[in-house]
Amino acid sequence: MELRLENFTKRFGDVTVIENMDLTVNSGEMMALLGPSGCGKSTTLFAICGIHKMNGGALYFGDRDVTTVSAQGRSVGVVFQNYALYPHMTAEQNIGFPLKVQRMPKAEIRREVERLADLVQIGNLLDRRPAELSGGQQQRVALARAMIRKPDVLLLDEPLANLDAKLRLEMRSEIRRIQRETGITAILVTHDQVEAMSMCDRIALMRDGKIVQLDTPEQMYRNPQSQFVAGFLGNPPISFLPARADASLTLANGQTIERPPGLEAMGDVVLGIRPEHFGPQHGTGLKGKVVFVEPQGREELVDVRLDGGGDIRSILPAGDPIRPGETVDWGIAPGTILAFGPNGDRL
Amino acid sequence: MTAHPRIWHLVLILSIFSTPLVIMYVYQVIDSIASPDPGSLIPGEIDLSNWRFLWERIDMGRPSIWMVTFNTFIFASTTAFLVTLLSTTAGYALSRLDMPGRPYFLGGLIILHAFPTITLIIAIFIILQFLGLFDTLLGIILVKAALELPFGVWIMKGFYDTVPWEIEMAGVQDGASRFRVWWELVLPQVKPGLAALLIISFLSGWSEFVLPLVLAPGSSTQVLSTYMNAVIQDDASADFGLFKAIGMFYSIPVIVIYLVFQKQLMNIYGGGTKG
Amino acid sequence: MTSRMLGIGFLSPAIISVCIFFLLPVLLTVVFAFTNMSTSTGIMGGDYRINTEQLRSLPDLDVSEATVERLETAGFQITEAGLTALADQFSKDTAEELREDYLGETFESRRDLERVLKDLDEPIRRTRDRKEAADLFAVTLIGERFGTEEEFRAALGTTGIDAVDHDVLTEFAYTGWTWTTDNFSLLMELPSTLRYAANTAFYVVATLTFNILFGLFLAISTFYLPGRLANTFRAIWFLPRILPPVLYVLMWNWFTWDNGFIATVMGWFGVPAKNWMMHTSTHAWTAIVLINGFVGASLGMILFSSAIKAIPTSMLYASEVDGANRWQQVRYIILPQMRWPILFMTSYQTLSLLTSFEYILLATDGGPGRSTEVWALAAFHTALNNYGGNLQYGFGAAYALVLVFIGIALSVAYLRFFNFKELLSKPRIEQ
Ligand SMILES: Nc1ncnc2c1ncn2[C@@H]1O[C@H](COP(=O)(O)OP(=O)(O)OP(=O)(O)O)[C@@H](O)[C@H]1O
Ligand SMILES: [Mg+2]
Repeated sequence: MELRLENFTKRFGDVTVIENMDLTVNSGEMMALLGPSGCGKSTTLFAICGIHKMNGGALYFGDRDVTTVSAQGRSVGVVFQNYALYPHMTAEQNIGFPLKVQRMPKAEIRREVERLADLVQIGNLLDRRPAELSGGQQQRVALARAMIRKPDVLLLDEPLANLDAKLRLEMRSEIRRIQRETGITAILVTHDQVEAMSMCDRIALMRDGKIVQLDTPEQMYRNPQSQFVAGFLGNPPISFLPARADASLTLANGQTIERPPGLEAMGDVVLGIRPEHFGPQHGTGLKGKVVFVEPQGREELVDVRLDGGGDIRSILPAGDPIRPGETVDWGIAPGTILAFGPNGDRL
Repeated sequence: MTAHPRIWHLVLILSIFSTPLVIMYVYQVIDSIASPDPGSLIPGEIDLSNWRFLWERIDMGRPSIWMVTFNTFIFASTTAFLVTLLSTTAGYALSRLDMPGRPYFLGGLIILHAFPTITLIIAIFIILQFLGLFDTLLGIILVKAALELPFGVWIMKGFYDTVPWEIEMAGVQDGASRFRVWWELVLPQVKPGLAALLIISFLSGWSEFVLPLVLAPGSSTQVLSTYMNAVIQDDASADFGLFKAIGMFYSIPVIVIYLVFQKQLMNIYGGGTKG
Repeated sequence: MTSRMLGIGFLSPAIISVCIFFLLPVLLTVVFAFTNMSTSTGIMGGDYRINTEQLRSLPDLDVSEATVERLETAGFQITEAGLTALADQFSKDTAEELREDYLGETFESRRDLERVLKDLDEPIRRTRDRKEAADLFAVTLIGERFGTEEEFRAALGTTGIDAVDHDVLTEFAYTGWTWTTDNFSLLMELPSTLRYAANTAFYVVATLTFNILFGLFLAISTFYLPGRLANTFRAIWFLPRILPPVLYVLMWNWFTWDNGFIATVMGWFGVPAKNWMMHTSTHAWTAIVLINGFVGASLGMILFSSAIKAIPTSMLYASEVDGANRWQQVRYIILPQMRWPILFMTSYQTLSLLTSFEYILLATDGGPGRSTEVWALAAFHTALNNYGGNLQYGFGAAYALVLVFIGIALSVAYLRFFNFKELLSKPRIEQ
């Protein structure tokens, strides 16, 4: 089911947290709400649930206007960051609770619970209470509980934040699998870009209560609309270098490189260079000194301080004998430089 | 902390201070079952005659101990029940429900919580007379419950505050009404609070003295505290054996509760709350 | 169901009971303090009546002789009530004849009526009897009860009492309570007021000091004891807090009275038995401070102990590593952390000590003499329990009013102990 948020405004007292936000999530799509802490992701999510009232705007599930419908009246499943399982109920009772509220016959509830338990693969744990389940298992229970009503929309608020690294990886693909299998429209709230990029069809990147870019993960990575987006996505992060665009590109430290096609000679700009686009394999052109090497197993991160100032990071396959202090002269892959105007907009 | 060679100094000082209390406790028991001869402190023969109040009237005109005990039990348990019931709902409303005037209710609660209720007893005395509830058990039950209420609401609000919001949000999202969320999802999380409040208000009712003394002075509404006080006041010979036996009988529930729940009680009283 | 409705439903029972037993009493304490309500006036309002005994005090009110006389006998009237009495005491026939000829008639003087009685067909013959018979028809306001002021004034009028005296008499005859500020002028005048206030101040300061110092001592010393021992001491000191006051004070009575523990032990050394609690006011005060102090120290111990437990152990270990001895540890680590609990305890206990009188009532009842009578106990004695038997609710309420004001002021100040902003954070589910 399609979800449409129009002109959504939310105020707490006299602080406006979100102003005139528009967001459309297509049917069957998984959308990430990504952004730094405090940007209003949870607020948006709570408005979609019906836990928060909207101060302005409208919300549609398909064609149905649910703006003023109570949380109970909306068909929304939510998985909370700490799972919010009912501690005094067994996993089975937890999962079956939404159906019990609907006064469904016991046998039917039982059947549905088993179906969901199979889907999230916890069929053998149904008699346990939340305290007797591991984090990952608790999350599966929470997911089953959110899905059992066959909701129009599934909302996930930082579902992986409380898991350790290995489980996080596993649950990432699990959640995506379940979402795909059921074809449910889902919104994932996260401040972890890797999660957003790996799990979602599209990402809505938020900042200070506004969506700054809404795109597929690849597009957003390759084609960021602003310096903020470029800086937010990518791990290790992109390096920014101030420069002057004239006939050629003059970096702040005085080095000159070729002006990419399409970039006008318009004065002060900021260049964004992703680490994978800077290295010895891309020729020469930028001289500097290695200041830091961080081995990461398969790869290693190399921080280069350019002669005359400015830091730029490179990611290289491990094994190259690069030492801090070494002087280097590396190049940038052609056509990969991202240029931003003084206000941060993409040029 | 680690044991210290000079710790016995502390133990000594503490023991000296504690001696009077310990003597009182010990002789509280001894005097009730084996009173020493006058002028001596050595326990005499075991003698249960001090407990005669259990099977005979110690004075004419005094109600039977069993009726008094029954009154006390009704008084304490009904108050405890009422306080717990009202605090359970009011505490939830104040902790969780979005309603008009909530700041004022909260401020009022804190003020009431600190306010010394005993100063109101003269006015309450007259109100009960107006209402025709003077010298009735119902009257003192209502008054006691009302006066304990701010404390109860405060305790319950504290317990509700610790229940994660997400549980309630999940419940609402699962389609349950706020009432159902409270009843089925939140209430089970505050059961320890309910138990604590029940126990504390029961103890408080069981021990209450001034309210029954002033508001229910008749003999048909006597409770153990006023009964015991009346026996002490009326007996010119200071028959401590009898007094202490009554005291023992009176305090049995308190001691039992104390022994069973000592830790929890200390925790609750230690939480900076009124007791 | 919206949460607003639910909230109102959930709160209203509590609010109703708070209104009846908190707000109303506070208001009524103010109201009563401005009345002369007492056992003799009753609380329900009253009627208008003057008794024979009261007649004697009438001249003090500058009521004229004539009025007093008029009050006593305001003439004679043949009434059914009088006739019935006559029939009973004398003869039916006389009564019957009198009814037929004279019912409703009035006579200015006794002589006139006596003449009538003499001249009847069935006369009353003896002079003494006639006098008595005439008295049966005397009209008098004495002993008669009037429900309202109008009725009473009307009666005064028909009796022919000089209108100058009506107001004075009406006020004098009223048996119910009236509005007055006398309670407060009395409070100002009575030397006992100052005495009770001083007693209260001494009681609060002494007990509070004991509570806090001894509570701190108990908390800190049990903290340094090994677990078992500490728990034993804690148990000993926790008990006073939850024992019923009547029993707790009884144990003290036994400890201090003339056939009790101290007297017995002192007896072995030849000291004559005496009541160690009530012997002198110094004895009484010592007992009071200790009785209250042990209970208060018990609360202090619990409160301070949990505060000490909250001090990170790393902090204590660090200080030990730094070579601090026990005393320094207490002085520089523990005590500074106790500031908040001590403040809390002080404010909370001040309020409850100011107003509570339970233990004093049970132990000394304000004695010997009035030497341990504190303000709250004075209010109690005045309004609710005294040997004279005339309970002065109004005056007692005036005493209580002072405490109510202090109580309100201090508990409002107490609001500041709480992070009220945080308390007020809005509920996170908005519906
Ligand atoms: N109940 C509230 N009252 C006032 N301000 C609030 C409230 N809830 C959130 N805010 C403010 O609204 C802004 C957005 O909060 P929100 O919880 O939506 O952030 P978020 O994007 O979810 O951040 P995080 O990643 O840390 O969870 C924050 O600045 C926050 O301080
Ligand atoms: Mg959030």
